[in-house]
Amino acid sequence: MKATAAWFLAVVLTATSLPAAELWVGAAGTSITPDQSVALDGHRNLRMSNKVESPITATALALESRDKEKVLDQAILVSCDLVAIRDGILEKVREKVKSRLPGFDVKKLIVSATHTHNAPVTLEGRYTLPAQGNMKPSEYTEFMTTKVSEAIVESWKNRRVGKAGWGQGWAVVAQNRRAVYADGTAQMYGATNKPSFRGLEGYEDHSLDVLFFGDQKDHLLATAVNVPCPAQEAEGGLSILADFWHPAREGLRKGYGKDLLVLGWTGAGGDQSPHLMFRKPAEERMRKLRGLTRLEEVARRIVDGWQDAYEVARKDMRQDVVLRHCVREIELPRRKVTEAEVAEARKEAAKYAGNPAQRWNYRWNQGVVERYEAQKAGSEKPFTMELHVLRLGDVAIATNPFELFTDFGLQIKARSPAVQTFIIQLACDSGGYLPSERAVRGGGYSAVIQSSRVGPEGGQILVEETVRAIQDLWKK
Amino acid sequence: MRHPKPLSSLVVAMALVLTLGQAVLPARAAELWIGAATANITPDKSLPLTGGTAVRVSNGVLSPITANVLALESREGQRVVDQAILVSCDLCVIRPGIQDGFRKHLAGRLSGFDLNKLFLAATHTHDAPVLMQDRYDVKDYGDAMQPKDYVPWMYRQLAQAVEKAWEGRAAGAVAWGLGHAVAGHNRRVVYADGIARMHGNTNDPQFRNIEGYEDHALHVLCFYDAQKRLKAAALTLACTAQCASGTKVSADFWHDVRRLIRQRHGEGVCVLGFCAPAGDQTPRVQVGRTSDQRMFESRGLTYTQEIGRRIAVAFDDVAGVIAKDIRTDVPLVHRVRQIELPARIVTDAEYAVAKKVCDDINAKKTLTKSDYWTRDLYRSAAERYLAQKKDQGKTYAMELHVLRLGDVAIASNPFELFLDYGVQIEARSPAVQTFLIQLAGTGAQHAYYLPTPRAAAAGALDEKPFTNYSATVMTGMVGPEGGQKLVDLTLDEINALWKSPAKK
Repeated sequence: MKATAAWFLAVVLTATSLPAAELWVGAAGTSITPDQSVALDGHRNLRMSNKVESPITATALALESRDKEKVLDQAILVSCDLVAIRDGILEKVREKVKSRLPGFDVKKLIVSATHTHNAPVTLEGRYTLPAQGNMKPSEYTEFMTTKVSEAIVESWKNRRVGKAGWGQGWAVVAQNRRAVYADGTAQMYGATNKPSFRGLEGYEDHSLDVLFFGDQKDHLLATAVNVPCPAQEAEGGLSILADFWHPAREGLRKGYGKDLLVLGWTGAGGDQSPHLMFRKPAEERMRKLRGLTRLEEVARRIVDGWQDAYEVARKDMRQDVVLRHCVREIELPRRKVTEAEVAEARKEAAKYAGNPAQRWNYRWNQGVVERYEAQKAGSEKPFTMELHVLRLGDVAIATNPFELFTDFGLQIKARSPAVQTFIIQLACDSGGYLPSERAVRGGGYSAVIQSSRVGPEGGQILVEETVRAIQDLWKK
Repeated sequence: MRHPKPLSSLVVAMALVLTLGQAVLPARAAELWIGAATANITPDKSLPLTGGTAVRVSNGVLSPITANVLALESREGQRVVDQAILVSCDLCVIRPGIQDGFRKHLAGRLSGFDLNKLFLAATHTHDAPVLMQDRYDVKDYGDAMQPKDYVPWMYRQLAQAVEKAWEGRAAGAVAWGLGHAVAGHNRRVVYADGIARMHGNTNDPQFRNIEGYEDHALHVLCFYDAQKRLKAAALTLACTAQCASGTKVSADFWHDVRRLIRQRHGEGVCVLGFCAPAGDQTPRVQVGRTSDQRMFESRGLTYTQEIGRRIAVAFDDVAGVIAKDIRTDVPLVHRVRQIELPARIVTDAEYAVAKKVCDDINAKKTLTKSDYWTRDLYRSAAERYLAQKKDQGKTYAMELHVLRLGDVAIASNPFELFLDYGVQIEARSPAVQTFLIQLAGTGAQHAYYLPTPRAAAAGALDEKPFTNYSATVMTGMVGPEGGQKLVDLTLDEINALWKSPAKK
C-alpha cells in the first residue's frame, strides 16, 4: 500500500515538474564586412570606405518552443551592424532562407540594425558613386543578404534544448542629443555652452536589458543586449566599423567565452546618441586616465552593466519558458505636410536638383514635395509596418522600423505587463525618425518633416498597438 | 515674514567689479591643508521626523544620521591663501536660521577662520528630525525630543566635529573624477493634457513622457593625507536621499555608501554626501520598477542598499582611476556672495486659491495632521502676495558659495533646484568638473523648489496641494526667471575664478 502511494506521488511529482514547454536555442554569427571599398551610409555626404577598423557582423538567434514533438512557436532574430534595414533587404533574406528552413515560417524572422554609421549603403540611388573601384550597393546587398541567410540557416540547424534568463543592468550610454534654447527651438547636437541654452529636450534611458541563452549545462551560448542608443559614437571617417558593439562583444567574449554570440539591439533612441552633449572635459579626462578610446569606454559601461545583470540572471536560467511570437501588419497615419513645409522643401529641392554631389539633400527635400502631392491628390497611403511582439518567459520583445523617440519607448515599457520589455527599433524596415510632439514643436533635424514620414499621431498609435499586442500575450 | 532690502544696482555692480578684481589665483604653488571629522547627530531619543505632510514620530533608528565635515585651507608658506569648511548633514533641509544659528554657536571657536566660509548642506533624507519648532502642530510631537531641544544639541555635536576637522587639518593631497551611478530618476510624469504629476502613474494610457532629463553623473573628490592615504571623500549626484520614508531615523542610502566605502578604503574615511540640483529627481524608478525590484531583491538587498551599492561601486571605480592623478599644489579660492534673485510673483488667481484654502482650514473645528502643513504652505503664498502688492518681497536673498579647487568648481544654492539649471551651469562652466550642491545654507527665508518654465507651465495652483506639486507658487519662492538669474550669477562667479571664456 505504502509502495503504491509512493509510486503515485512520484508520478504526480514527475508530471508536475515536467517542463511545460522546452526551449530550443540556436545561434550563429557571420562577418558582413565587404572586401572592397563601399559607400558608407548615414550621412548627407558621400563617404567611400578606405579601410576596415573593426569587422561588421550579423548575429542570428533561433528560438523554438516545443511540447515534446509539437512545435509551439518560433522566432529567428538577427542583429546586423548596418545603419538600417532598408527597402528590400528583409524580403531578400526571407526569399533566400525560405526553402532552407523546413518548418519555419519566414514571417517570424526579424532583422534589425545597430545603426552604425560606418556600414555600407544598401540602396542604389542615394548617392552618386564613382564609376569604378568600389562595390556597388546592389552588389553589397547581394553579398550581405547571402551571408546573413547562411547565419540564419546555421542558427536554425544548430538549435538544441537550452535555457533562457533575463536581467537588467544600467549603462550610461545614451545621451539626449536635442538641445533646447530660450526661444523654444531645439537643435540636434546643438551647443550647450551658450547662454541661450535651457536644457536637454527629454529623457535618457540608461537601462540595459539583457537576455542570456545557455545550453543545458548552463554554458552561455548567446546573449542579446538592448541598449536604448544607436551605435554611432564613431560616425564619420572613412572606416568600416561596428562602432561600440565591436569592443562590447570583445569584452564579453574575453570574460565569458570566445564563442559567445552577442546580439546588439537598439532600443527606442531616435533622440539619443552616445555623443556627449556637455561635461566633455571631465568625461574625456577620465577616459584618457583609463587609457581607452571613446568606443572602448562606451563598451566598458555596457560590459559592466551586462555583468551586473548576469550576476542575478545566471541563478535563474529557465528551460520551461513560454515563447509566443505575434506578427502583425499595422497601419500608421502619415505625418501631414503643411503648406509652409512644402514651400520650404520645394525651394531646397530646386537648389540641389542639378548637383549630383547633393543627391542626398535633393532626395531629402523632394520626398516631402512628393508626399505633399500625394496628400493633396488623396492618393497617400498609410505607412504600413510589420510589428513583431514576442513573449519569452517574463520578457516582452517588441519591434518597430523607426528611429523612435525615447518617450514612445518609455510609454510601451511603462504600460507593458512584462517584468522586462525589450524594444528593438530599426527592425524589418527603415521608417525614418518618429519624433515626439515636443520634438516637433522644437523642430530641428530628426523632428522636421523631411526627417519623418510618421509623426506624433502615428507614434501614439504605434504605442497603443504594441501595448495591446503585448497585453494579448500575457492573457491566459 | 522679513524681507531683505534689495541691493541697489550700483552695489551689485561694485560687488561684481570687486569679485573680478579679487579673482586672482595664487601666483605660485600652494599647499592644501585638509581636515575631516564626523559628528553623530542621532540622539538616543524619539524624534519628530520631517519631510512629509504630517509629522511622524520616530520609533527607532534604521541607520545613524551624521554630519560630515571637510576643512580646507590653502597656504603659501605661512601665508593663508583661502579657506572653506563644508558640512554635509543627514537632514532634510537646512531650514531658515539654522546655518546662521550654527555660525553664532561657533563664534570664537575656530581660530583664524572666517565663519562665512562655512556652509551646511542637507542630503534630503526624509527620516531626519524636524528643525523648526512650528513646522508642524507642536501637539503632534508628543513626548518626542522637541526641535527647540534637538537643534542646540545638534549644534554642539556639529561644533565638536567642525573644531576637530579644523584643528586637525594637515598638509595633504586631492584628486577628482567623474563616474556614473543610476540613482536619481526624474519624478515628474506628464500626461496627454499637458499636466505633470510628481510620482504620477506611468502605467496609464494618458502617460506621454517623463518631463525632463536625468543625470547619472557622480562627481568625486578624494582627499588624502601626506602619505596619500584616503582621508575623506566628497560625492555629489543629482539625487535626493529619499529611498525610504518610515518612522525610523535614517540617513537613507548615504549610510550604505559610507559603510561600503569605509569597508573598502578604511574605517576612518570621512564621506560627505552632497545633492546636486535635483528638484525634479528622486531615487524612485518611474518606469521599469518591477524589473529593478527583481534585481535588487535577488541580490538580497533593500532598494536603499541597492542605491548605496551603485554609488559605492561607482566611487571605487573613480577612486581607482584618479589615484593616477593625485595633486598637492592646487589652488583653493572660495567666494561667498550675497545675491538677490527676482522672487516668484504670486498672481491674483493664486492668491485667491491660497486664501480660500487657508480660510477653509481655519474654519475647521478639528484640524488633521496634514492641515497644519498644508495651511503653512498656502499661507506663505498668500503672505507673499500681500507683501508684493505693497512692493515688498520682490526679491529673494541667498548666500552663494563658489569655490575653485584645482580644476574643479564647486557652487552651492539653497533650493531644490530643478536639474535643467544644474545642466546649464555645468555645460557653461569653464571648470573641468563642476560640483553643484543644492539644499545648502538657507538664509532667512525658506528656499523650497526652483522649477523650470516647462514645470511651472504644467499645472496651475488649485486647492489640492499636490497638483503640479514642486512647481507651483505654493512651493516656490523663486520661479524660472530667478532660476535663470541664479544660473547666470553662479557662472559669473565661476568664470571670475577661471578668467577664461566658457568652453563646451
